[in-house]
Amino acid sequence: MNRTTTSPFDIKSATIQGLSLILRSIKLDVIEGDLAARVANAGDLFTNAPVLINVSALTAEGTADKLELTRLVNLLRRHTMRAVGIVGATGLLLKQAQALGLVEEPDVQPRVRNKAPQAAPEPEPAPVAEAAPQAPGTTPPVVTDLFADAPASASPSTPTPAEAAVPQAQAQEPPRDAATGRPAPTMVIDRPLRSGQRVYARGGDLVVLGVVSHGAEVIADGNIHVYGPLRGRAIAGATGDVEARIFAVAMEPELISIAGTYRTTDKPLADTVRGKPAQARLDGDKMLIEPLKN
Amino acid sequence: MTKIVVVTSGKGGVGKTTTSASFASGLAMRGHKTVVIDFDVGLRNLDLIMGVERRVVYDLINVVQKEANLSQALIRDKQLENLYILAASQTRDKESLTQEGVQRVLEELKAMDFAYIVCDSPAGIETGAMMAMHFADEALVVTNPEVSSVRDSDRILGMLSSKTQRAIDAREPIREHLLITRYNPHRVQGGQMLSLEDINDILRIPLIGVIPESEVVLEASNQGLPAIRIKGADVSQAYDDVIGRFLGETIPMRFTEAPKKSFFRRIFSSAN
Repeated sequence: MNRTTTSPFDIKSATIQGLSLILRSIKLDVIEGDLAARVANAGDLFTNAPVLINVSALTAEGTADKLELTRLVNLLRRHTMRAVGIVGATGLLLKQAQALGLVEEPDVQPRVRNKAPQAAPEPEPAPVAEAAPQAPGTTPPVVTDLFADAPASASPSTPTPAEAAVPQAQAQEPPRDAATGRPAPTMVIDRPLRSGQRVYARGGDLVVLGVVSHGAEVIADGNIHVYGPLRGRAIAGATGDVEARIFAVAMEPELISIAGTYRTTDKPLADTVRGKPAQARLDGDKMLIEPLKN
Repeated sequence: MTKIVVVTSGKGGVGKTTTSASFASGLAMRGHKTVVIDFDVGLRNLDLIMGVERRVVYDLINVVQKEANLSQALIRDKQLENLYILAASQTRDKESLTQEGVQRVLEELKAMDFAYIVCDSPAGIETGAMMAMHFADEALVVTNPEVSSVRDSDRILGMLSSKTQRAIDAREPIREHLLITRYNPHRVQGGQMLSLEDINDILRIPLIGVIPESEVVLEASNQGLPAIRIKGADVSQAYDDVIGRFLGETIPMRFTEAPKKSFFRRIFSSAN
C-alpha cells in the first residue's frame, strides 16, 4: 500500500494504557509491602504496565523532596512496572525525575467528576494504583489503532512527534490538551461514519453530523452527540467519566458504553427510545436510556 | 479530461463485473473512448464476459511489471471501436500490483486520450480492491438488496472517503453513485429483500440506477456479451438509463415497482 512513501517511517498519534500511582506517603517499605500483595492478586494487570507517578499530594504536604525516587522506580521495575512519567513534582524532585528519564505530565483533575475528593486515610497511608476502566469488549479498541480508519479530517490536531512519544496513562487522562493546557476541543465530524471507521475524541466531546453506521465506532472521553441515526457502537466517558452522556437523534446502537458500563441491544431498546431522539446516561451502575423531550 | 470510475462493492457476486462490462460498453456505444481494466488478479472474469478471453496475450500485470507495453496489452473490442479491455492475469500474485505501477498505467491511458477508465474491482478489501479505487474520480457502488451486501457497501464507502488518493490529498471527494442490482420488486413486497428506501436510509448516497433481477444477465455472460448489448431486455434498458444519468441526463427510475395487476385482472376490474 505505501510503496510510494519514501520516508522510512511514519509518525502517528498513539495512546497506551497505563497506571497511575498516586502516592500519599514516602515510606517506600510500607508501599513495597502493599504493592507486592496487590500485584500478586492482580493477574496480568500490572505486567509491563507504564506508570505515572503522581506526587501531587506529597508536594502539597511538603514531603515530596524526601521521596527516594530512584528507589521507587527500581521498586516498580521489580514488580514488572515501568515508571514513564511524573505528575505534580517540583524543584529538586522534578530535576531528579527528568534525570531518570521520566516525562513531566500536567497535574490536572482527572475527568471523573463525581468522585469526592479523597481525604488522606488516617492510620496507614498506602499507595493506590488505579487501572483504567475496563469493560469487556470496549476497552481494547480505545487503546489500539485509534486513527487507523478515521476519515482524514477526523483528527482536530495533527499528531505531533511529541504526542506520539509521550505515553499517556489513561486512568488519569486530563480533559485538557496535554500540549497546550487548554480544555480539549470538541471534535466535530461532519460526514457520515461508515462501517469499519472509528473515531476517538481524546479528552473531550465528540459531535457527529450524520449517520454512525452499523459497524462504525465512536469513542469520546466526554459526551457523544450524534445528529443522525446512531447505529454503530458508542463509547462515552472512555477514561472513566461517569457523568458522560450519549445523545442521538435516532437511538438504534449496537452497543453503548459509558465509563465502562455497557449495554448491547441484543435485547431491543424500549419502543419509547428505539430509533427516536434519546439520551443514555448512568445512574450509579445502571444505564438509563431516556427519550429526549421537547 | 479523463475520468477514472471504479466499480466496487466489497461483497462478491453482486454484479461488479457485469456492471463494469455493461457500463464501459454503454459509454463506448455513446461515442466515448473507454477502457475497462480488470483488477481481479488471479480470478479474471471480465475478459470472459466481454467475450475476449481468447485474445488475451498480455495483461495488466505484464504492463505494471514492464514486461509488455500498454499498446500490446490493450484489447480492442470487435464491435465497439471506442472500447478497449485490459485483462487481469490469471496466474500472477495480486501483490505484484504496485501503486506506482497502477499509477503509471493510468497516466499512460490518460495520455492516450481515453475519456473514461473503468476499473473493475475485485471483491473484498485487499490489495486489488484498494488499487482499483485508489486513483478514482467517481465510484459506482454496486449493491444487492440484502443486508450483508449493504453493510459491505457501507464499509467500501468509508474507504472511498478515507483511503483513496483524493482523500489523502484532501481534494474534492470521490463522487459516489449507488447502483442496485438484482432488484426484484415482488420479493421486496414479500419482505425477502430490502426496499430502495431501506437501502437509501443506510447508505445515503445518490441512486444512479436499479437493475432488475433477470435471467438475461446469465445468458449474456455465457455468450460473452455485456448485458447492455442484449436488445430489448429490461436489464439492457436499465443499464442504458444508468449511462444516461451518469452523463447528466434526467431519467426516471424504471423496474422498481411490481406490476400492479395482471392483464386479466385489469379487464375483470374494469368490467365492474
